[in-house]
Amino acid sequence: MRKNHRRLAIAGTALLGLMFSGSSLAWNLKEAAQPYKGVTINVVGLERPSYKAAQALTPEFEKETGIHVNWTTFPYESTLKAETLNFVSQSGQYDVVLSDVVWPVTFVDAGWVVPMKHFTDNPKLADPALDLKDFFPVWLASFTVNDKLYGLPFDSYAGLLFYNKKMLADAGFDGPPKTWDELYNYDKKLTNKDKGVYGYVLQSAHNETQTADAFARFLWPWGGRFLDIGQKKVMVDSPDSVAGIQFRRKLVKLMPSGIVSDDHPQVIQMLIQKKAAMVTEWSSFYTTLKQSPIGDDIGVAVEPKGPKKAASAFGGFAYMVSAQIPEKKQNASYLFIQWLTSKEMAKPLIEKGAVVARRSADTDPSIQADNPYLKPMVATWEHSTVPDWRPQLQCYPQFSNIVSDWGSRIEQKRLPVKSSLHDMADALQKYMDSSDCWAHANQPEKYISKYESKSAQ
Amino acid sequence: MSQTPIKPEYKQPWRERLAPWFFVSPSLVLLLAIGLFPVIYTGYYSTFNWTMGFGTPSFAGFGNYVQALTSSDFGWSVLRTLILLAITLPIELVLGLVIAFALDSAHNVWLRRALQVCLVIPIAITPAVIGLLAQLMFNQQFGIINYLIGLIGIAPVDWLGGSVSAFATVVAVHIWEWTPFVALVLSASLSTVPTDIEEAVMLETDRWWPRFKSVILPYMWPGITAALVFQTAFTIKSFGMIYSIAQGGPGTSTMFAMLQIERTAFRGFNIGLASAESILMLIMSIVLARIYIRLFYTDKDD
Repeated sequence: MRKNHRRLAIAGTALLGLMFSGSSLAWNLKEAAQPYKGVTINVVGLERPSYKAAQALTPEFEKETGIHVNWTTFPYESTLKAETLNFVSQSGQYDVVLSDVVWPVTFVDAGWVVPMKHFTDNPKLADPALDLKDFFPVWLASFTVNDKLYGLPFDSYAGLLFYNKKMLADAGFDGPPKTWDELYNYDKKLTNKDKGVYGYVLQSAHNETQTADAFARFLWPWGGRFLDIGQKKVMVDSPDSVAGIQFRRKLVKLMPSGIVSDDHPQVIQMLIQKKAAMVTEWSSFYTTLKQSPIGDDIGVAVEPKGPKKAASAFGGFAYMVSAQIPEKKQNASYLFIQWLTSKEMAKPLIEKGAVVARRSADTDPSIQADNPYLKPMVATWEHSTVPDWRPQLQCYPQFSNIVSDWGSRIEQKRLPVKSSLHDMADALQKYMDSSDCWAHANQPEKYISKYESKSAQ
Repeated sequence: MSQTPIKPEYKQPWRERLAPWFFVSPSLVLLLAIGLFPVIYTGYYSTFNWTMGFGTPSFAGFGNYVQALTSSDFGWSVLRTLILLAITLPIELVLGLVIAFALDSAHNVWLRRALQVCLVIPIAITPAVIGLLAQLMFNQQFGIINYLIGLIGIAPVDWLGGSVSAFATVVAVHIWEWTPFVALVLSASLSTVPTDIEEAVMLETDRWWPRFKSVILPYMWPGITAALVFQTAFTIKSFGMIYSIAQGGPGTSTMFAMLQIERTAFRGFNIGLASAESILMLIMSIVLARIYIRLFYTDKDD
């Protein structure tokens, strides 16, 4: 009798196991998308390589699912405006919305996007192979607000040091600089203003580039930061922050005076035309540089360490589902996001020039061999960056305007560093206090451990 | 004494009374829809505290106007706009006048045709494209302007990196962009001078200045006034070209009023304040237009 019970128990367990593994095996995109066949979803994209790669691969998704995908691409500067107007007017124009790493708090607090859990808890929609822990924790943390994940990362960047190997070798250097102090010494040796050749140039245009590239880059590695959210205090005039911006002034003296108006394309051109030996730029520029006339001479490494810590630039995007569209469209939108950011799609996307935050693809030796930027990018995301490189505030755009105005004036050498940073801090503090911005601040750093523990599992 | 018979009053049938309204109504409706409605709508929102994404609008009375008028950022941007206007307007007017006379000249038909073609180019190009082209042309490292001045031995100039030079670059591009328009308006105005009067004056004197001052200029005042009004409005609302060149930088040296308003509206999403700033700029344009008309406009029949 007892034997029979045991046999029954084993058989039951096996049956249950088969049922669950069966349902797991049974999930496929085509069947999951069956109820949404014929639905059209509108996706926001940027005029950047990752989105070109995604658009090139989209017909595969359409063929598999019968869901039609309409892409609308914007220049970065217009994207937040277009999406905000879409939400405020409740036009339902965009279903799959793009969020920069500094926008999720705006979208979430206004109730414009749906938490990912809403979809991942639905076995009919959630691909068992989604494998969230394959995304780098820093990226999942960046799109987590109030302990809920709102987007899946796509088009993810790390700041990297791109350099001309030949120019460095000709100057007697056998590798890229490891610290900012070393970079300064390289810079002094490589710069020859009479010949119009510069050791290092820094994109500094008066817009988001000034804030994210030219200013933040010289805060964090020196131990500085924008805000102490717990104390509700602006920190851009702390002694560490001042030391970083004073170091930037030293570097700027060796750059062309027009650098303060140069954006990403101009510094990349200077590197391509051998007018600059080193730039610190986003990982997404690797493809452009590789395809340029100096492609074989391009070297890529992690950004130099600062005196206090290694902290490289951090930026990128995630796809989210609009909360203002019918459920049918939301589900179809989720299926698209899940497909685009899947492990399976990571390799073809990288081959077409996209940058993705999938650990399995980014650390694959065969993919790394063709894409040398992946190794330093992974190292950056794992060891040397901060998710709130720029603070996650609902009022971030105006915050960034103030930083950009002051940062640009200081870089022009028109103002003394210390007192100007103090004035900048006053202006930011006044704005933060008067706009109730402190109440809408997100601290993604606190979620990293949550995702790290998941990764470790 | 016979009494003049009283003519019975003619009563216009309602159909006849309505006919003119019927004919003008399509354009009137269109004008109200695309001209007046946005202004009224902007005026309405200027009285609300509303930041998009931060809850619902609440009535603020004239609070946004007070904030705009006491804001140093907005104040400086208006001052920069007025300086831009004060520099570009006289230059565009003088250059436009010179071109208008060249167009009017019967001596060189080839020059006239070449000028007509050249004048159309800046008008035909989108302002944002003009700005992007200027950004490339004035780039310190790769720009053609520095290459050309280098050919005559002048060292490269940092056109976009300095506050004064970036402002000067915007001034130069603005003049290139808008002088043709002024020239066309003045050319049309020049064509209103009657030929017989011109010929009669030629018999009196062959000196150019007295002829211009006493005969041609009075005929041109309405055209000059129109050019002033249009150019003031165009300069105040300049955005695409300036934004593409320097995005308001370096620092805030090219942060003109419209860039400041766009920033308030679509970076800060403060629609109430941006609406108030827009209405203030509209009032400024109207006041300046009235001053021009009061000072310069004379009907040639007077």
